[in-house]
Amino acid sequence: MLLEASGLTKSFGGVTAIADLDFQVPAGLVYAVIGPNGAGKTTLFNLLSGIYRPDEGRLRFAGEDLGGRQPYQIARLGLARTFQNLQIFFNLSVLENVMVGAHARGCQGMVAALLRTPAMRREERQIRAWAWEALDFCGLGELAARPASALPYGALKRLEVARALAAQPRLLLMDEPAAGLNDTETLAMRDLIGRLRDQGITVLLVEHHMGLVMRVSDRILVLDYGSRLAEGTPAEIRANPQVIAAYLGGEVHYAVE
Amino acid sequence: MKRLRGWWLLVALLIALPLLFPGNYYVTVVGASALLHAILAVGLNLLMGYAGQISLGHAAFFGLGAYSSAILTTRYGVNPWLALGAGLVLAGGVAYLIARPVLRLKGHYLAMATLGFGIIVHILLVQTGGLTGGPDGIGGIPTLSLFGWAIDSDARWYGVLAATLLILVLGALNLMDSRSGRALGAIHGAEVAAGMMGIDTAAAKTAVFVLAALTAGLAGSLFAHQQAFVSPDSFNFFVSIELVTMVVLGGIASTWGAILGAVILTFLPELLVVFEDYEVLIFGAILMLIMIFLPQGIVGGLADLWARRQGAAAPTDPPKAGPAPRGLAPASDPVSQDAA
Ligand SMILES: Nc1ncnc2c1ncn2[C@@H]1O[C@H](COP(=O)(O)OP(=O)(O)OP(=O)(O)O)[C@@H](O)[C@H]1O
Ligand SMILES: [Mg+2]
Repeated sequence: MLLEASGLTKSFGGVTAIADLDFQVPAGLVYAVIGPNGAGKTTLFNLLSGIYRPDEGRLRFAGEDLGGRQPYQIARLGLARTFQNLQIFFNLSVLENVMVGAHARGCQGMVAALLRTPAMRREERQIRAWAWEALDFCGLGELAARPASALPYGALKRLEVARALAAQPRLLLMDEPAAGLNDTETLAMRDLIGRLRDQGITVLLVEHHMGLVMRVSDRILVLDYGSRLAEGTPAEIRANPQVIAAYLGGEVHYAVE
Repeated sequence: MKRLRGWWLLVALLIALPLLFPGNYYVTVVGASALLHAILAVGLNLLMGYAGQISLGHAAFFGLGAYSSAILTTRYGVNPWLALGAGLVLAGGVAYLIARPVLRLKGHYLAMATLGFGIIVHILLVQTGGLTGGPDGIGGIPTLSLFGWAIDSDARWYGVLAATLLILVLGALNLMDSRSGRALGAIHGAEVAAGMMGIDTAAAKTAVFVLAALTAGLAGSLFAHQQAFVSPDSFNFFVSIELVTMVVLGGIASTWGAILGAVILTFLPELLVVFEDYEVLIFGAILMLIMIFLPQGIVGGLADLWARRQGAAAPTDPPKAGPAPRGLAPASDPVSQDAA
């Protein structure tokens, strides 16, 4: 198992956002986490990435216990993420944003930077090449030189993916990558997620767009009030009466574009 | 060398000025003062402009450098260069010690903490009279000499300060265009995301805080020897505010902006003396007008105007989160800053 959570619990004041949650993500899959607004999906991502500390429970990633680790340490283990509310570096260019994504793959520090040593310059070229690779993979090559603040919303969603991809992660957490995208952009995002998996990257996907989720996921975890309502293949989830009742309020449309 | 074109221009300018106007008061005296301010502002801009962390106590590090040199050379007869080294160790060491607790704070709280630090250092300089000479300060600081060449004239100080600034600017430009520099920019832009990119944000902020303190300490030592006299008033709260104003006025996040801000804030009072009683009033009004009409500072504002004239205007407002899909309410901020 690439990722294992057991007994995971997180409360905010009186609200239990994640309640005694167990689940396992095998390597190589697209694993979706769905659930109504406020079900605890983003909280789960924040726990996995070390932004929140769990009240209880354990998290293991790639054989390491994540307890007590800072986000940057977890990132260096090979876990990357995108954010539901864009967290773009709007003060940097598109290329620089993605170069920051490759930060953990470099090692040259501040003194080397001030002196611009040959080793630093070599690493800089390497980081630039990695960033270009990720940009091209996400179809953003033509926008590389633009300030990130000049990009339209759809491109920013892809920039979040490119930046995370430049870290060469083993596990990529995507929080609503298709939110706010039009149909064409959503299709492109679905294609991108599929290609990420083909690259051997395990994807943990939070998404409200059911057409996308059902098409692209290998397994689905359904959360309701922070605990597990169901888990299984898309076919199993689609047929699960509890899921239909709780999440979709009885109305099911798996609109497939 | 396109990357360093601006730097070479600065080299040419700083060499040309004293040659074109030899012995001119505005070059070697006011100019040297502008150079010193520029050193301080470029250093502070590493922290404020690059990393987005405000400091209202930067003059304290300037003072620590200056008083190290003043005390060690006049009271203990220490070699000025060793004293300068000691000043760097003191300024950098104090910065290192306070960086982690202080830089965990954000926004107004960080401003308050650095303000408090600046005030404490100023009070120490005034109150520990046995060592610092109290409010009267310390005089008779010996001149520096470089390879047996005494730096004892205005023109020579101009040269030393110009060379120091040029080296510092080169370092700042190098840093901007590097893995560490981008990490600082990332912290400025979105700190939580920076952490998720594997950046040890606390360590990066500490490093840049120490770097800024070192440049201020160096400026302080040079200042002490240049003036041959130091007193606490040169390192009080108003000096810290002035330095912040230089960085913001010129255009935050730009090394050139910091230099321009330092030049303007040094020369403007000199030029406004003709207005006598109204000098400070006019000075304040000019600052207000610049910030109202060029809120990104002079360099940022001009760059924007230029881009617009080129017809390649880039929208400057970051797009807000897009429409919520299918009528769902937009989620509350998933990443609250206090949780990290
Ligand atoms: N930092 C916080 N402080 C207080 N309450 C929080 C915080 N973060 C989340 N919550 C609460 O925890 C619950 C789960 O929120 P979360 O954002 O994880 O839901 P979500 O499944 O991501 O929802 P959405 O689909 O709308 O993005 C909600 O009730 C939310 O109000
Ligand atoms: Mg969410």
